[in-house]
Amino acid sequence: MLPYRSRLSVAVFLVPPLALYAVAVLLPIGQSLFLSLFSWDGITDSQFVGLDNYRHLLTDGVFWRAFANSLGYLVICLVLQLGGALAIACLLTSIRRWREVFKVLYLLPAVISTVAIAFLFARIYSVEPEGLLNGVLGAVGLDALQRPWLSDVSTVLAAVSAPEGWRFVGLYTIIVYAALLAVPRDLQEAAALDGANAWQIFWRIRFPYIRPVWITTTIMATTYALRGFDIPYLLTGGGPGQSSELVTTYMYKTAFTSTNYGYASTISVFIVVECLVAVGLILLVLRREKTA
Amino acid sequence: MTTTIAPARTSSVDAPPPPAPSAQHRRSPARIVSRVLVVLIAMVQVYPLLWLFVTSVRPERDFASGNPFGIPGSITWDNYARAFDQGHLGQNILNSLIVTAGAIALIVVLGMMGAYALQVLGFRGSRAVRALFLLGIVVPVQIALVPLFIDYSRVGLLDTYPSMIIPLAAFALPMSIYLFSSFFEYIPRETYEAASMDGAGPYRIFARITLPLSLNTVVTVVMVNAIFIWNDFIFANTFVLSEGRKTIPLGLQNYIGAMGKVDWTATFAAVCVTVTPLLLVFLVLNRAMIYGLESGANKG
Repeated sequence: MLPYRSRLSVAVFLVPPLALYAVAVLLPIGQSLFLSLFSWDGITDSQFVGLDNYRHLLTDGVFWRAFANSLGYLVICLVLQLGGALAIACLLTSIRRWREVFKVLYLLPAVISTVAIAFLFARIYSVEPEGLLNGVLGAVGLDALQRPWLSDVSTVLAAVSAPEGWRFVGLYTIIVYAALLAVPRDLQEAAALDGANAWQIFWRIRFPYIRPVWITTTIMATTYALRGFDIPYLLTGGGPGQSSELVTTYMYKTAFTSTNYGYASTISVFIVVECLVAVGLILLVLRREKTA
Repeated sequence: MTTTIAPARTSSVDAPPPPAPSAQHRRSPARIVSRVLVVLIAMVQVYPLLWLFVTSVRPERDFASGNPFGIPGSITWDNYARAFDQGHLGQNILNSLIVTAGAIALIVVLGMMGAYALQVLGFRGSRAVRALFLLGIVVPVQIALVPLFIDYSRVGLLDTYPSMIIPLAAFALPMSIYLFSSFFEYIPRETYEAASMDGAGPYRIFARITLPLSLNTVVTVVMVNAIFIWNDFIFANTFVLSEGRKTIPLGLQNYIGAMGKVDWTATFAAVCVTVTPLLLVFLVLNRAMIYGLESGANKG
């Protein structure tokens, strides 16, 4: 603490950031909680309906379908981003030169806007004209696997999840890689002298050492996947049917297409709770493993 | 730190005899496989972007009839001309610049101020305020869409630059405060005490010591946020109604014609135009950004 300060100076520095934060983050959270108790189309008077919206949520088939899809989206993103990041970061530590160049190349997709990525993948997945994916499958003789990826109900969810995974692998790779570099070398070499193989060194020394960073990246990747919206919304708009509908896209449509503000607020409250629960679970599981 | 690393280095690099494990590893098949994989992954990450660019200079007919993934028969810039004709690309870029600059300015200035109040000045209840800000890192932006849409329509802010700048800045503020706070921790207390003894008040110390010392952190905060804000889709898509206020991500959607017919080469040209400035800045300043990502997560 600065020895020479005043209440006024604290206020001068704190009030502006707090005011912006309150107006655009805290107030909307409160408003959403409030609105979720009403039925309102934005034009006629709003009606207090108590917990009806929440009751509706429980029995809303489309919502549960979207929730299941969101979990699928989450799993695919986590496997691609965290699994991919860990594997790629380990690979990077094993090469000697050009590491910095590869870090930059891996991070490139994260710089591109989601709209551009949606265009790109729409073209990669397309059938007529033949896109990159179907072209490659045809070229290697796997014609049987060619399909309209975005309109086939069985593949559409994976197809809208993969771009998000692809986009941020590099980001998590860089974070995990930095953590791996910090693992003390003498610890690993001592283990190698004791006869540990590469897997043992990885699971017994390197991975436990980077656990704090692993927790952070898992939380980041999970909360970002749970609020994922842009690419599925742009690629398919949730279709065909509800096969790629996520909780976020459903909430967006409920608010701005059906103008059902009350129910949309209920869904957005659900998204917040979902993120908080996920963070709580991650901390619980990953922290407990440490003590066990 | 240095004491533990230094002996390890000498044992693995300077020691010439064969027992040194790294000398064997260098020629092992595992090492070759990992090199190949590293290059392959780089191709997966970069090839789609390269293809985007190649398509943008490919003649339209060549793209439609020939192999769209081969090397183009000839190169043309017509697509770029069409891209500028069809859309409002210039206006989109200007809007994106305004929104990004506005939000970044708020994030840097307010983030620094908040971190200064929390970390350097300190006050009773600062822990609670810090926790309140940390909440904003976990809360998804979707919660703000409906309430802000309603609030904006009441006060007439819909379809304005502030309608995008305010939430973009507010949701990025917690991370920025966090990054500045963790940097301010490293400024030695003695520096402040010495300045204080010389009669400098909190404002002068902020302007003369904290601000100049944190320029590196400023670059990091600007880079990380510029990318997310420049690419923002959800706030712009919700709060912008008219053509004149559309930012780049929204403008790009104009290239999808009626019935989903897409002028792909012009679209990709437009994508290239909008992506290139960010890509160039990133390639120049990537060290600052990568450093920020690493330290941000590794301190948490």
